[in-house]
Amino acid sequence: MKRHLILEDGTVFEGLGFGAPATTFGEIIFHTAMTGYQEIITDPIYDGQMIVFAMPVIGAAGIHAEAYESVKPAIRGMIVHDLAEVSVNRQRRMNLDRFLKQHNVPGLYQVDTRKLIRHLRETGPQKATIVDFADDHAVDQLVATVLTNKQVQNTATLKPYANPGRGRHIVVIDFGLKHGILRMLGDYDANVSVLPYTTSVDEVLTLDPDGIILSTGPGDPRSLPDSVLTLIRVLQTKAPLLGIGLGHELFALANDATLAPLSSEHHGMNHPIQEIISRQIFFAMQGQGYAVDNDSIDRKKLFVTYRDLVDGAVQGLRHREYPAFSVQFFPDAAPGPLEATAVFADFFETVEDYVEHHS
Amino acid sequence: MANKEVLDNASLQRALTRITYEIIERNKGGEDLVLVGIKTRGEFLAHRIADRLEQLEGVRIPVMAIDITNFRDDIPDHHDDLGLNQAERLNISEKNIVLIDDVLFTGRTIRAALDALIHIGRPKTIALAVLVDRGHRELPIRADFVGKNIPTAQNEKIKVFVQEIDGKDAVEIVH
Repeated sequence: MKRHLILEDGTVFEGLGFGAPATTFGEIIFHTAMTGYQEIITDPIYDGQMIVFAMPVIGAAGIHAEAYESVKPAIRGMIVHDLAEVSVNRQRRMNLDRFLKQHNVPGLYQVDTRKLIRHLRETGPQKATIVDFADDHAVDQLVATVLTNKQVQNTATLKPYANPGRGRHIVVIDFGLKHGILRMLGDYDANVSVLPYTTSVDEVLTLDPDGIILSTGPGDPRSLPDSVLTLIRVLQTKAPLLGIGLGHELFALANDATLAPLSSEHHGMNHPIQEIISRQIFFAMQGQGYAVDNDSIDRKKLFVTYRDLVDGAVQGLRHREYPAFSVQFFPDAAPGPLEATAVFADFFETVEDYVEHHS
Repeated sequence: MANKEVLDNASLQRALTRITYEIIERNKGGEDLVLVGIKTRGEFLAHRIADRLEQLEGVRIPVMAIDITNFRDDIPDHHDDLGLNQAERLNISEKNIVLIDDVLFTGRTIRAALDALIHIGRPKTIALAVLVDRGHRELPIRADFVGKNIPTAQNEKIKVFVQEIDGKDAVEIVH
Protein backbone atom coordinates (compact mmCIF):
# COMPACT_ATOMS: atom_id res chain seq x y z
CA MET A 1 0.00 0.00 0.00
CA LYS A 2 1.24 3.47 -0.88
CA ARG A 3 2.24 5.48 2.22
CA HIS A 4 4.13 8.71 2.88
CA LEU A 5 7.02 10.03 4.87
CA ILE A 6 6.67 13.67 5.86
CA LEU A 7 9.56 15.67 7.27
CA GLU A 8 9.12 18.65 9.56
CA ASP A 9 10.41 20.99 6.84
CA GLY A 10 7.47 19.93 4.66
CA THR A 11 9.32 17.56 2.33
CA VAL A 12 7.29 14.49 1.39
CA PHE A 13 8.61 11.13 0.19
CA GLU A 14 6.43 8.42 -1.25
CA GLY A 15 6.87 4.71 -0.70
CA LEU A 16 5.15 1.42 -0.05
CA GLY A 17 4.30 0.33 3.45
CA PHE A 18 5.66 -2.78 5.15
CA GLY A 19 5.69 -3.87 8.75
CA ALA A 20 2.89 -2.41 10.85
CA PRO A 21 0.32 -0.19 9.09
CA ALA A 22 0.52 2.30 11.98
CA THR A 23 1.09 6.05 11.94
CA THR A 24 4.36 6.95 13.60
CA PHE A 25 6.37 9.99 14.76
CA GLY A 26 10.05 10.26 15.54
CA GLU A 27 13.34 11.93 14.81
CA ILE A 28 14.65 10.77 11.44
CA ILE A 29 18.32 9.89 10.96
CA PHE A 30 20.20 7.88 8.37
CA HIS A 31 22.48 4.89 8.82
CA THR A 32 25.27 3.94 6.44
CA ALA A 33 26.08 0.46 7.78
CA MET A 34 26.11 -2.19 5.05
CA THR A 35 25.26 -4.99 7.46
CA GLY A 36 23.54 -5.54 10.76
CA TYR A 37 20.09 -3.99 10.30
CA GLN A 38 18.60 -6.25 12.99
CA GLU A 39 21.16 -5.14 15.57
CA ILE A 40 20.63 -1.52 14.55
CA ILE A 41 16.83 -1.52 14.82
CA THR A 42 16.93 -3.32 18.18
CA ASP A 43 19.72 -1.12 19.64
CA PRO A 44 18.16 1.04 22.38
CA ILE A 45 20.34 3.99 21.33
CA TYR A 46 17.80 4.52 18.52
CA ASP A 47 14.86 4.73 20.91
CA GLY A 48 12.17 6.92 19.41
CA GLN A 49 13.99 7.45 16.10
CA MET A 50 13.24 6.53 12.50
CA ILE A 51 16.13 5.16 10.51
CA VAL A 52 16.79 5.53 6.80
CA PHE A 53 19.18 2.86 5.54
CA ALA A 54 21.73 3.85 2.91
CA MET A 55 22.31 0.19 2.08
CA PRO A 56 19.99 -0.25 -0.91
CA VAL A 57 18.60 -3.68 -0.03
CA ILE A 58 17.53 -4.50 3.51
CA GLY A 59 15.98 -7.70 4.84
CA ALA A 60 17.97 -10.43 3.11
CA ALA A 61 19.28 -11.82 6.41
CA GLY A 62 15.84 -12.15 7.99
CA ILE A 63 15.60 -11.92 11.76
CA HIS A 64 17.50 -14.36 13.95
CA ALA A 65 18.05 -15.04 17.63
CA GLU A 66 21.74 -14.07 17.80
CA ALA A 67 21.29 -10.56 16.49
CA TYR A 68 19.04 -8.92 19.07
CA GLU A 69 20.55 -5.92 20.86
CA SER A 70 17.48 -5.63 23.10
CA VAL A 71 14.34 -7.72 23.38
CA LYS A 72 12.30 -5.50 21.10
CA PRO A 73 12.99 -2.86 18.47
CA ALA A 74 13.49 0.61 19.87
CA ILE A 75 12.91 2.45 16.62
CA ARG A 76 9.70 4.12 15.50
CA GLY A 77 10.10 3.51 11.80
CA MET A 78 12.34 2.10 9.11
CA ILE A 79 12.83 3.55 5.64
CA VAL A 80 14.59 1.48 2.96
CA HIS A 81 15.12 1.54 -0.76
CA ASP A 82 14.38 -2.07 -1.49
CA LEU A 83 12.96 -4.69 0.83
CA ALA A 84 14.20 -8.25 0.39
CA GLU A 85 11.35 -10.62 1.05
CA VAL A 86 13.41 -13.75 0.62
CA SER A 87 15.94 -14.34 3.38
CA VAL A 88 19.05 -16.32 2.57
CA ASN A 89 20.38 -16.61 6.11
CA ARG A 90 19.91 -20.17 7.34
CA GLN A 91 19.64 -18.97 10.94
CA ARG A 92 16.66 -16.76 10.25
CA ARG A 93 13.40 -17.69 11.88
CA MET A 94 11.33 -14.83 10.59
CA ASN A 95 11.40 -12.11 7.97
CA LEU A 96 11.76 -8.42 8.68
CA ASP A 97 8.22 -7.56 7.58
CA ARG A 98 6.63 -9.98 10.04
CA PHE A 99 8.97 -8.91 12.83
CA LEU A 100 8.04 -5.24 12.44
CA LYS A 101 4.34 -6.14 12.29
CA GLN A 102 4.64 -8.05 15.58
CA HIS A 103 6.26 -5.05 17.25
CA ASN A 104 3.93 -2.49 15.69
CA VAL A 105 6.75 -0.65 13.89
CA PRO A 106 5.92 0.74 10.44
CA GLY A 107 8.34 0.59 7.52
CA LEU A 108 8.47 2.22 4.13
CA TYR A 109 10.19 0.79 1.05
CA GLN A 110 10.60 1.78 -2.58
CA VAL A 111 11.71 5.16 -1.23
CA ASP A 112 14.35 7.23 -3.05
CA THR A 113 16.70 6.88 -0.09
CA ARG A 114 19.63 8.54 -1.90
CA LYS A 115 17.64 11.73 -2.36
CA LEU A 116 16.31 11.50 1.21
CA ILE A 117 19.79 11.02 2.71
CA ARG A 118 21.24 13.90 0.67
CA HIS A 119 18.41 16.03 2.00
CA LEU A 120 19.03 14.94 5.62
CA ARG A 121 22.77 15.59 5.23
CA GLU A 122 21.82 19.20 4.49
CA THR A 123 19.18 19.66 7.18
CA GLY A 124 20.41 17.39 9.93
CA PRO A 125 18.02 15.14 11.86
CA GLN A 126 14.47 16.39 12.12
CA LYS A 127 11.00 15.31 13.18
CA ALA A 128 9.21 13.06 10.74
CA THR A 129 6.09 10.96 10.42
CA ILE A 130 4.97 7.97 8.37
CA VAL A 131 1.30 8.31 7.37
CA ASP A 132 -1.13 7.01 4.78
CA PHE A 133 -2.02 10.43 3.33
CA ALA A 134 0.30 13.42 3.13
CA ASP A 135 -2.37 16.07 3.69
CA ASP A 136 -2.30 19.33 5.66
CA HIS A 137 -3.74 17.57 8.66
CA ALA A 138 -0.76 15.18 8.80
CA VAL A 139 1.71 18.08 8.51
CA ASP A 140 -0.08 20.00 11.29
CA GLN A 141 0.00 16.92 13.50
CA LEU A 142 3.73 16.50 12.90
CA VAL A 143 4.49 20.13 13.67
CA ALA A 144 2.45 19.92 16.88
CA THR A 145 4.12 16.72 18.06
CA VAL A 146 6.63 17.09 20.86
CA LEU A 147 9.18 14.28 20.91
CA THR A 148 10.30 12.92 24.26
CA ASN A 149 13.74 13.54 25.67
CA LYS A 150 13.24 10.72 28.19
CA GLN A 151 14.84 8.04 26.02
CA VAL A 152 17.17 6.79 28.78
CA GLN A 153 14.22 6.50 31.17
CA ASN A 154 12.37 4.55 28.45
CA THR A 155 15.09 2.01 27.85
CA ALA A 156 17.27 1.64 30.96
CA THR A 157 16.48 -0.99 33.58
CA LEU A 158 14.51 0.15 36.62
CA LYS A 159 15.76 -2.66 38.85
CA PRO A 160 19.18 -4.24 39.33
CA TYR A 161 19.77 -7.65 37.81
CA ALA A 162 22.65 -10.07 37.55
CA ASN A 163 24.28 -11.79 34.60
CA PRO A 164 26.33 -14.31 36.55
CA GLY A 165 29.76 -15.59 35.60
CA ARG A 166 32.78 -16.98 37.41
CA GLY A 167 35.25 -14.23 36.57
CA ARG A 168 35.77 -10.65 37.73
CA HIS A 169 32.85 -8.73 39.18
CA ILE A 170 31.83 -5.97 36.78
CA VAL A 171 29.13 -3.44 37.62
CA VAL A 172 27.35 -2.03 34.58
CA ILE A 173 25.52 1.26 35.06
CA ASP A 174 22.66 0.98 32.59
CA PHE A 175 21.62 3.94 30.44
CA GLY A 176 19.86 1.71 27.90
CA LEU A 177 22.56 -0.82 27.20
CA LYS A 178 22.80 -2.99 24.13
CA HIS A 179 23.24 -6.74 24.49
CA GLY A 180 26.63 -6.56 22.79
CA ILE A 181 28.17 -5.22 25.99
CA LEU A 182 26.85 -8.16 28.03
CA ARG A 183 27.96 -10.55 25.29
CA MET A 184 31.51 -9.18 25.42
CA LEU A 185 31.56 -9.34 29.24
CA GLY A 186 30.36 -12.93 28.90
CA ASP A 187 33.38 -13.68 26.70
CA TYR A 188 35.53 -12.83 29.74
CA ASP A 189 33.23 -14.87 32.02
CA ALA A 190 32.63 -11.72 34.05
CA ASN A 191 30.21 -11.81 36.94
CA VAL A 192 28.00 -8.90 35.96
CA SER A 193 25.63 -6.77 38.03
CA VAL A 194 23.55 -4.38 35.96
CA LEU A 195 22.34 -1.40 38.00
CA PRO A 196 19.92 1.42 37.13
CA TYR A 197 21.50 4.81 36.46
CA THR A 198 19.70 6.15 39.50
CA THR A 199 21.90 3.93 41.72
CA SER A 200 23.76 5.59 44.59
CA VAL A 201 27.52 5.48 45.11
CA ASP A 202 27.03 3.33 48.22
CA GLU A 203 24.93 0.78 46.36
CA VAL A 204 27.72 0.35 43.80
CA LEU A 205 30.56 0.21 46.32
CA THR A 206 28.71 -2.28 48.53
CA LEU A 207 29.01 -4.70 45.62
CA ASP A 208 32.80 -4.27 45.70
CA PRO A 209 33.22 -4.23 41.90
CA ASP A 210 36.51 -5.11 40.20
CA GLY A 211 35.51 -2.84 37.34
CA ILE A 212 32.70 -0.50 36.30
CA ILE A 213 31.13 0.07 32.88
CA LEU A 214 29.01 3.06 31.91
CA SER A 215 26.77 1.67 29.21
CA THR A 216 25.64 2.98 25.88
CA GLY A 217 22.25 4.62 25.70
CA PRO A 218 19.99 6.87 23.66
CA GLY A 219 19.38 10.59 23.55
CA ASP A 220 21.06 13.71 24.85
CA PRO A 221 23.24 13.00 27.92
CA ARG A 222 22.66 16.56 29.10
CA SER A 223 19.02 15.68 29.81
CA LEU A 224 20.07 13.30 32.59
CA PRO A 225 20.10 14.45 36.23
CA ASP A 226 23.35 15.82 37.70
CA SER A 227 23.34 12.97 40.20
CA VAL A 228 24.66 10.75 37.38
CA LEU A 229 27.74 12.97 36.96
CA THR A 230 28.35 12.98 40.70
CA LEU A 231 28.13 9.18 40.69
CA ILE A 232 30.73 8.97 37.91
CA ARG A 233 33.08 11.44 39.63
CA VAL A 234 33.20 9.18 42.67
CA LEU A 235 33.23 5.81 40.89
CA GLN A 236 36.17 6.72 38.61
CA THR A 237 38.34 7.00 41.71
CA LYS A 238 37.28 3.61 43.10
CA ALA A 239 37.83 1.00 40.37
CA PRO A 240 38.77 0.76 36.69
CA LEU A 241 36.02 2.40 34.66
CA LEU A 242 35.05 2.14 31.00
CA GLY A 243 32.45 4.42 29.42
CA ILE A 244 30.94 3.50 26.05
CA GLY A 245 28.84 5.72 23.75
CA LEU A 246 26.52 7.70 26.03
CA GLY A 247 28.69 6.46 28.91
CA HIS A 248 31.67 8.14 27.24
CA GLU A 249 29.75 11.38 26.85
CA LEU A 250 28.75 11.29 30.53
CA PHE A 251 32.34 10.49 31.56
CA ALA A 252 33.42 13.62 29.63
CA LEU A 253 30.71 15.76 31.24
CA ALA A 254 31.62 14.46 34.70
CA ASN A 255 35.17 15.68 34.10
CA ASP A 256 34.09 19.17 32.99
CA ALA A 257 34.25 18.74 29.22
CA THR A 258 31.27 19.89 27.14
CA LEU A 259 29.37 18.31 24.26
CA ALA A 260 28.18 19.73 20.99
CA PRO A 261 25.68 18.23 18.51
CA LEU A 262 27.47 17.00 15.38
CA SER A 263 26.60 18.87 12.21
CA SER A 264 26.71 15.53 10.44
CA GLU A 265 25.84 12.67 12.76
CA HIS A 266 27.82 9.42 12.64
CA HIS A 267 25.70 6.33 12.21
CA GLY A 268 27.67 3.65 10.45
CA MET A 269 30.97 1.86 10.37
CA ASN A 270 32.84 3.57 7.56
CA HIS A 271 34.92 6.10 9.47
CA PRO A 272 38.57 5.27 10.11
CA ILE A 273 39.42 5.79 13.79
CA GLN A 274 42.95 6.20 15.08
CA GLU A 275 44.29 5.03 18.41
CA ILE A 276 46.60 7.95 19.05
CA ILE A 277 49.12 6.21 21.30
CA SER A 278 49.91 3.44 18.79
CA ARG A 279 48.92 5.33 15.60
CA GLN A 280 46.87 2.26 14.63
CA ILE A 281 43.85 2.83 12.44
CA PHE A 282 40.75 0.67 12.60
CA PHE A 283 37.03 0.75 11.91
CA ALA A 284 34.22 0.43 14.42
CA MET A 285 30.49 0.89 14.65
CA GLN A 286 29.51 4.45 15.50
CA GLY A 287 26.16 5.87 16.54
CA GLN A 288 26.45 9.41 17.80
CA GLY A 289 24.60 12.66 17.50
CA TYR A 290 26.90 14.47 19.92
CA ALA A 291 30.63 14.73 20.27
CA VAL A 292 32.91 15.93 23.04
CA ASP A 293 34.05 19.47 22.25
CA ASN A 294 37.80 19.14 21.78
CA ASP A 295 38.54 22.64 23.10
CA SER A 296 36.56 22.05 26.28
CA ILE A 297 38.78 19.21 27.51
CA ASP A 298 40.74 20.07 30.63
CA ARG A 299 44.12 18.53 29.74
CA LYS A 300 45.01 18.36 33.41
CA LYS A 301 42.16 15.87 33.88
CA LEU A 302 41.68 14.11 30.56
CA PHE A 303 43.54 13.36 27.39
CA VAL A 304 42.30 12.23 23.99
CA THR A 305 43.03 8.58 23.12
CA TYR A 306 41.10 8.04 19.86
CA ARG A 307 40.14 10.32 17.01
CA ASP A 308 37.83 10.06 14.00
CA LEU A 309 40.03 10.62 10.94
CA VAL A 310 37.17 11.90 8.78
CA ASP A 311 36.21 14.93 10.86
CA GLY A 312 38.70 14.84 13.74
CA ALA A 313 35.94 14.21 16.31
CA VAL A 314 37.06 12.95 19.72
CA GLN A 315 36.46 9.17 19.89
CA GLY A 316 38.07 8.31 23.20
CA LEU A 317 39.23 9.85 26.46
CA ARG A 318 41.27 8.78 29.41
CA HIS A 319 41.66 10.21 32.88
CA ARG A 320 45.10 11.41 33.88
CA GLU A 321 44.92 10.22 37.47
CA TYR A 322 42.67 7.16 37.50
CA PRO A 323 42.35 3.97 35.45
CA ALA A 324 39.22 5.40 33.85
CA PHE A 325 38.70 5.67 30.11
CA SER A 326 35.96 5.87 27.53
CA VAL A 327 35.21 5.33 23.86
CA GLN A 328 32.59 7.04 21.73
CA PHE A 329 32.41 4.18 19.21
CA PHE A 330 30.92 0.77 19.99
CA PRO A 331 33.64 -1.81 20.66
CA ASP A 332 31.21 -4.72 21.05
CA ALA A 333 31.04 -5.26 17.28
CA ALA A 334 27.31 -5.92 17.20
CA PRO A 335 27.19 -5.20 14.40
CA GLY A 336 30.52 -4.03 13.15
CA PRO A 337 34.16 -4.88 12.54
CA LEU A 338 35.78 -6.99 15.27
CA GLU A 339 38.91 -4.80 15.42
CA ALA A 340 37.60 -2.58 18.18
CA THR A 341 36.88 -5.42 20.62
CA ALA A 342 40.45 -4.93 21.93
CA VAL A 343 38.96 -2.13 24.06
CA PHE A 344 37.42 -4.86 26.24
CA ALA A 345 40.77 -6.66 26.41
CA ASP A 346 42.30 -3.35 27.58
CA PHE A 347 39.59 -3.00 30.19
CA PHE A 348 40.02 -6.52 31.57
CA GLU A 349 43.82 -6.21 31.65
CA THR A 350 43.38 -2.97 33.57
CA VAL A 351 40.99 -4.77 35.93
CA GLU A 352 43.49 -7.62 36.50
CA ASP A 353 46.21 -5.12 37.21
CA TYR A 354 43.99 -3.22 39.61
CA VAL A 355 42.98 -6.37 41.49
CA GLU A 356 46.65 -7.40 41.70
CA HIS A 357 47.69 -4.07 43.23
CA HIS A 358 44.70 -3.44 45.51
CA SER A 359 43.99 -6.74 47.20
CA MET B 1 59.29 -29.27 22.21
CA ALA B 2 57.75 -26.31 20.43
CA ASN B 3 57.80 -22.87 21.99
CA LYS B 4 54.54 -21.66 23.43
CA GLU B 5 53.54 -18.11 22.52
CA VAL B 6 52.15 -16.33 25.57
CA LEU B 7 51.95 -12.81 24.14
CA ASP B 8 51.38 -12.21 20.44
CA ASN B 9 52.14 -9.02 18.57
CA ALA B 10 48.79 -7.36 19.36
CA SER B 11 48.80 -8.20 23.06
CA LEU B 12 52.43 -7.09 23.41
CA GLN B 13 51.50 -3.71 21.89
CA ARG B 14 48.52 -3.49 24.23
CA ALA B 15 50.70 -4.30 27.24
CA LEU B 16 53.13 -1.48 26.33
CA THR B 17 50.19 0.87 25.77
CA ARG B 18 48.71 0.06 29.16
CA ILE B 19 52.07 0.49 30.90
CA THR B 20 52.36 3.91 29.22
CA TYR B 21 48.91 4.95 30.44
CA GLU B 22 49.77 3.79 33.95
CA ILE B 23 53.03 5.76 33.88
CA ILE B 24 50.97 8.85 33.02
CA GLU B 25 48.55 8.11 35.88
CA ARG B 26 51.41 7.71 38.35
CA ASN B 27 53.49 10.70 37.15
CA LYS B 28 51.11 13.62 36.87
CA GLY B 29 52.33 15.91 34.14
CA GLY B 30 55.33 13.76 33.27
CA GLU B 31 57.77 16.40 34.52
CA ASP B 32 61.22 15.23 35.60
CA LEU B 33 60.50 11.83 34.11
CA VAL B 34 63.41 9.80 32.72
CA LEU B 35 63.05 6.33 31.20
CA VAL B 36 65.97 3.98 31.76
CA GLY B 37 66.08 0.81 29.68
CA ILE B 38 68.19 -2.15 30.74
CA LYS B 39 70.16 -3.46 27.78
CA THR B 40 69.43 -5.21 25.53
CA ARG B 41 65.66 -5.48 25.11
CA GLY B 42 64.71 -3.12 27.91
CA GLU B 43 66.31 -0.33 25.89
CA PHE B 44 64.00 -0.97 22.93
CA LEU B 45 60.97 -1.21 25.20
CA ALA B 46 61.95 2.11 26.82
CA HIS B 47 62.05 3.78 23.40
CA ARG B 48 58.68 2.27 22.51
CA ILE B 49 57.15 3.70 25.68
CA ALA B 50 58.79 7.09 24.99
CA ASP B 51 57.28 6.99 21.46
CA ARG B 52 53.86 6.36 22.94
CA LEU B 53 54.20 9.16 25.48
CA GLU B 54 55.27 11.49 22.68
CA GLN B 55 52.19 10.56 20.61
CA LEU B 56 49.92 11.51 23.49
CA GLU B 57 51.71 14.46 25.03
CA GLY B 58 53.82 15.84 22.19
CA VAL B 59 56.89 15.80 24.43
CA ARG B 60 59.91 13.51 24.14
CA ILE B 61 60.79 12.00 27.51
CA PRO B 62 64.57 11.38 27.79
CA VAL B 63 65.61 7.75 27.47
CA MET B 64 68.87 6.31 28.78
CA ALA B 65 70.08 2.76 28.25
CA ILE B 66 72.31 1.12 30.83
CA ASP B 67 74.43 -2.00 30.71
CA ILE B 68 74.42 -3.57 34.15
CA THR B 69 77.00 -6.30 33.44
CA ASN B 70 79.61 -4.63 35.62
CA PHE B 71 77.22 -4.42 38.56
CA ARG B 72 76.22 -8.06 38.63
CA ASP B 73 76.65 -9.89 41.92
CA ASP B 74 77.86 -13.10 40.29
CA ILE B 75 80.89 -11.56 38.62
CA PRO B 76 83.89 -11.24 40.89
CA ASP B 77 85.99 -8.07 40.78
CA HIS B 78 83.25 -6.14 39.12
CA HIS B 79 83.98 -2.49 38.52
CA ASP B 80 81.63 0.44 38.27
CA ASP B 81 81.49 1.01 34.53
CA LEU B 82 78.05 1.65 33.06
CA GLY B 83 79.21 1.33 29.48
CA LEU B 84 78.07 4.91 28.84
CA ASN B 85 80.13 7.81 27.57
CA GLN B 86 79.54 11.27 29.06
CA ALA B 87 77.04 12.26 26.35
CA GLU B 88 74.92 9.18 26.94
CA ARG B 89 74.88 9.68 30.67
CA LEU B 90 71.82 11.73 31.64
CA ASN B 91 71.45 13.72 34.80
CA ILE B 92 69.16 11.60 36.94
CA SER B 93 69.46 13.50 40.20
CA GLU B 94 66.07 14.62 41.52
CA LYS B 95 64.38 12.90 38.55
CA ASN B 96 61.55 10.38 38.59
CA ILE B 97 63.03 7.31 36.96
CA VAL B 98 61.09 4.50 35.36
CA LEU B 99 63.43 1.54 35.01
CA ILE B 100 62.37 -0.73 32.15
CA ASP B 101 63.25 -4.35 31.48
CA ASP B 102 61.73 -7.16 29.47
CA VAL B 103 61.50 -9.94 32.08
CA LEU B 104 61.43 -9.79 35.88
CA PHE B 105 62.68 -13.09 37.32
CA THR B 106 64.97 -13.39 40.36
CA GLY B 107 65.26 -9.62 40.79
CA ARG B 108 69.07 -9.69 40.64
CA THR B 109 69.25 -7.72 37.38
CA ILE B 110 67.07 -5.03 38.89
CA ARG B 111 69.24 -4.88 42.00
CA ALA B 112 72.27 -4.40 39.79
CA ALA B 113 70.44 -1.69 37.83
CA LEU B 114 69.51 0.12 41.04
CA ASP B 115 73.17 0.00 42.05
CA ALA B 116 74.21 1.38 38.69
CA LEU B 117 71.69 4.23 38.90
CA ILE B 118 72.60 5.20 42.43
CA HIS B 119 76.21 5.16 41.26
CA ILE B 120 75.59 8.06 38.86
CA GLY B 121 73.07 10.13 40.77
CA ARG B 122 70.37 10.39 43.38
CA PRO B 123 66.96 10.13 41.70
CA LYS B 124 63.86 11.40 43.48
CA THR B 125 62.05 8.10 42.80
CA ILE B 126 62.70 4.91 40.89
CA ALA B 127 59.80 2.81 39.62
CA LEU B 128 60.05 -0.48 37.77
CA ALA B 129 58.22 -1.44 34.57
CA VAL B 130 58.54 -4.92 33.07
CA LEU B 131 56.89 -6.52 30.11
CA VAL B 132 56.70 -9.90 31.84
CA ASP B 133 56.78 -10.85 35.51
CA ARG B 134 57.51 -14.57 35.68
CA GLY B 135 57.86 -14.93 39.45
CA HIS B 136 60.61 -16.80 41.41
CA ARG B 137 62.06 -13.73 43.11
CA GLU B 138 65.25 -14.13 45.16
CA LEU B 139 65.31 -10.51 46.35
CA PRO B 140 62.64 -8.22 47.86
CA ILE B 141 61.83 -6.48 44.55
CA ARG B 142 58.50 -5.93 42.85
CA ALA B 143 57.42 -4.15 39.68
CA ASP B 144 55.18 -1.06 39.65
CA PHE B 145 54.05 -1.63 36.07
CA VAL B 146 53.60 -5.14 34.69
CA GLY B 147 52.63 -5.93 31.11
CA LYS B 148 51.72 -9.53 31.88
CA ASN B 149 52.12 -11.85 34.84
CA ILE B 150 53.17 -15.24 33.53
CA PRO B 151 53.49 -17.93 36.20
CA THR B 152 56.33 -20.23 35.15
CA ALA B 153 58.23 -23.27 36.33
CA GLN B 154 61.78 -22.61 37.48
CA ASN B 155 63.26 -24.58 34.58
CA GLU B 156 61.24 -22.87 31.87
CA LYS B 157 62.72 -20.00 29.90
CA ILE B 158 60.86 -16.88 28.87
CA LYS B 159 62.00 -15.39 25.60
CA VAL B 160 61.00 -11.87 24.62
CA PHE B 161 61.26 -10.99 20.94
CA VAL B 162 61.35 -7.37 19.80
CA GLN B 163 60.98 -6.18 16.23
CA GLU B 164 64.18 -4.12 16.34
CA ILE B 165 66.56 -7.09 16.68
CA ASP B 166 64.45 -10.25 16.61
CA GLY B 167 62.25 -9.38 13.63
CA LYS B 168 58.98 -9.85 15.53
CA ASP B 169 57.18 -8.80 18.68
CA ALA B 170 56.23 -11.74 20.88
CA VAL B 171 56.81 -13.47 24.20
CA GLU B 172 57.32 -17.23 24.21
CA ILE B 173 57.92 -19.91 26.81
CA VAL B 174 60.85 -22.13 25.80
CA HIS B 175 60.94 -25.58 27.37
